[in-house]
Amino acid sequence: MTEPSHPIGPTGPSETSGGDAPSVELPAVELRDIWKRFPGVVANAGASLRVRRGSVHAVLGENGAGKSTLMNVLSGVYRPDEGEVRIDGVAHHFRTPADALAAGVGMVHQEFRLVPSFTVAENVVLGACERIVRRPAVESAVEALAGRFGLAIEPDRPVWQLSMGERQRVEILKALWRDARILILDEPTAVLTPGEADELGAVLRHMADDGRTIVFISHKLHEVTGFCDEATVLRGGKTVAASLSVADTDASELAGLMVGASPVITERPPAREAGEIRLQVRDLRCSDDRGLPALNGLDLAVRSGQIVGVAGVAGNGQRELAQAIAGLRHVESGTVHLVGEDRTDATPRQRFADGLGYIPEDRIGVGLAPRLSVTDNAVLRTYGRHRRGPFLDAASATGHCRDLVDRFGVRTGPLDEPIAGLSGGNLQRLLVGRELVGGPRVVVAAQPTRGLDVQGVKAIQDLLVGERDAGAAVLLISEDLDELSTLADRLLVMHAGRIVAEFDPVTAERHAIGEAMIGHAETADDTGGDQ
Amino acid sequence: MSRPVLVRREQVLRGGQPLAFAVGLAVALVVGVALLVGSGHDPLRVYERMFEASLGDPRAWSVTLNRAVPLGLAGLAVAVAGSMGLWNIGAEGQIMAGAIGAAWVVRIGEGWPSPVLITAMLAAAVLGGGLLALGPAIARARLGVNEILTTLMLNEVAIRLVQWLTHGRWKDPDSHNFPLAPMLPDNARLPGLFERAHMGVVLAAVVILLFGVAASRTAWGYELRVAGSSGATARYAGISLPRKILTVLVLSGGVAGFAGGIELSGTSDRITESLSNGFGFAGIIVAALALMRPSGVAAVALLFGAVQIGGQSIQTMGVSSSVSTILQALILFGAIAAGVLTRYRVEMVAGDATEAGR
Repeated sequence: MTEPSHPIGPTGPSETSGGDAPSVELPAVELRDIWKRFPGVVANAGASLRVRRGSVHAVLGENGAGKSTLMNVLSGVYRPDEGEVRIDGVAHHFRTPADALAAGVGMVHQEFRLVPSFTVAENVVLGACERIVRRPAVESAVEALAGRFGLAIEPDRPVWQLSMGERQRVEILKALWRDARILILDEPTAVLTPGEADELGAVLRHMADDGRTIVFISHKLHEVTGFCDEATVLRGGKTVAASLSVADTDASELAGLMVGASPVITERPPAREAGEIRLQVRDLRCSDDRGLPALNGLDLAVRSGQIVGVAGVAGNGQRELAQAIAGLRHVESGTVHLVGEDRTDATPRQRFADGLGYIPEDRIGVGLAPRLSVTDNAVLRTYGRHRRGPFLDAASATGHCRDLVDRFGVRTGPLDEPIAGLSGGNLQRLLVGRELVGGPRVVVAAQPTRGLDVQGVKAIQDLLVGERDAGAAVLLISEDLDELSTLADRLLVMHAGRIVAEFDPVTAERHAIGEAMIGHAETADDTGGDQ
Repeated sequence: MSRPVLVRREQVLRGGQPLAFAVGLAVALVVGVALLVGSGHDPLRVYERMFEASLGDPRAWSVTLNRAVPLGLAGLAVAVAGSMGLWNIGAEGQIMAGAIGAAWVVRIGEGWPSPVLITAMLAAAVLGGGLLALGPAIARARLGVNEILTTLMLNEVAIRLVQWLTHGRWKDPDSHNFPLAPMLPDNARLPGLFERAHMGVVLAAVVILLFGVAASRTAWGYELRVAGSSGATARYAGISLPRKILTVLVLSGGVAGFAGGIELSGTSDRITESLSNGFGFAGIIVAALALMRPSGVAAVALLFGAVQIGGQSIQTMGVSSSVSTILQALILFGAIAAGVLTRYRVEMVAGDATEAGR
């Protein structure tokens, strides 16, 4: 039913690692001195990695440190310019991901590659089964496989009905079905709720105990210390610390290795006197993409010089709230006032002209146009100002872009190249910079630091605080409670499309916030706020 | 033992498209040798004749250029829509609709001075093509109806309309009851340029150039690129997607209609049901080979035109029309297939058992 499984051993008789003593266990994965150059960028400059069989191994690094490139080398997506890939001591030259899979290396990508209308079982066996799929047999085989690793899944459910956490389990099952002995997970927790992340940790442990080897890419330190046995840290395309024992290393040391300087310490920026109300939302109602109610009479107000944080479990209307304020979602009833004016029916462009900067949670595909150049993206909001008659003044647009790139520290290649070459952190700097460069009066930021590395997070947070200090009203919607309690002057909790509680972020207890997030607002301590 | 495999390039080969065309041409010519020898012809003489008839002298160039005009304009029509991710595969019908518009102007403008008449004809042609695209455009912009199906189906409507007109109201009373529209009067014909080339060559070049500039240098073209890259980003930037879709599809139809007007006024003596001659469908290939860029459309249309003219010319040597058609198809097929090489490279690998899996 599966593809022929692969005995552990060489594909050819050659090159079994030297004459070392056989008692020394060969590492499951060994990458030696990997170099990979792209036009204008050296992504890996002699990186190495050594992973013990049966361990969960973290690969840490900032965005742009070369983690993804190194993993793409290991999984056969890229071929290294120089260096050696050894699996169980045998040198391999992967040409395609299929080659890597044949050697037992499977990758679980950040973006899932699933057929939404297929069932779980069909997705798992797709491309790796007999010609005729007998559903009951396949479903029970998939269920048995899932059960072996403690993955809770219903094999007969169509994938479109599944949550992100469940979809990820399907991806993991796909790799296990293909008999991957080495699993690479690329930032697996980025799409998960904290509870789901913990579950994933348990599953990974289960698989490691079964003798599989897990390579876990992350930049969330607490997960690394929670789930992983060893950690390798990359910086600037090089390995700066190899196979550290996580038990013997503390988180701040790892953070220091990643950043390369003293660890970032997030301090609460001093508060500031709040001014007049700049953003007011009253009794707002709207639906989500499926037509179900998402906002059910939501009220909030943000004053000048204030950061109002919105916490909540994903899917409680945060996304729709941001879109409704930005003018990108139809409002069924209620009002949105910007700087004292009713702008409920204004277009996104009018709202931008009113001084609304909007940082959407989907960076690529909403905030940035994927195939366009850096310059084209930099002038997305203001291209009207670079017009000369019907023409766009290329020199003026490039000048604006150059300015933005310099001011916000965006590391980029040529400005007329597509943004595809930029790392996540630099994409976000470009996007945030573009929204903030004109000195907005109101800023709506949805998950602005999600998926960024330590330095990227700090840079974006500093920018938001800077806007607040300059007098902007900032609405910060985030799933990161630490971020909210550090930055927010007022902390609102959203549940089922309403604001259900408000906390003073300095004094609020975490568990009280957590209770409010799951809808037990009556038990929450409502300290009230200045309104 | 080794075998070739395709390996994806990490970056698309720059300037690879002309190269692909050359490779495709070479492969097709080599394969064509077998075809010609098999059907009893001297391949070298056939190829020589193809070249002479299409690019050998000014007269050959003029014929090729005339042919490149409808191909280029149809290609441009497809590319305009394609740059926004829309597929107008109704250029064939829009060419007909354009020709109907132009022919209608000829009927009402009998005594008009030639420049006035021709200008009015071409304007009516643009309107005709645009009008045929209007329905699919509205359906797509307002209701999200797939424009591929609607534009395709309207091809039939336009061709039937021409048949209805030439069999009925527009039938020439002097045609001895053949279903033929009357010949165009002289004042409805585009002036000549050189040899057999007509002014349409210049007009088409200007239109393609205008679109090239508009696409790359204007705010309109910028909005088009944003909308083509991501609809959600376009909305975020304040670009109205429905309006953009509407204007782009109608414009695309208008350009195809313009091709119909030029074809009627420049090369056809009257409106017939074969006037569009497959140009609308060939335009899809032209646009695809040009990667939806107006600048590429002109070059591809010229080569495509030369292949068609050269292919037709060898029929006078006794090469059967099907062999000539196969040869034309081989060249295009080769060029399209070789386009793959801009995205993949060929590598030889040792063909041992463990790697033969895929």
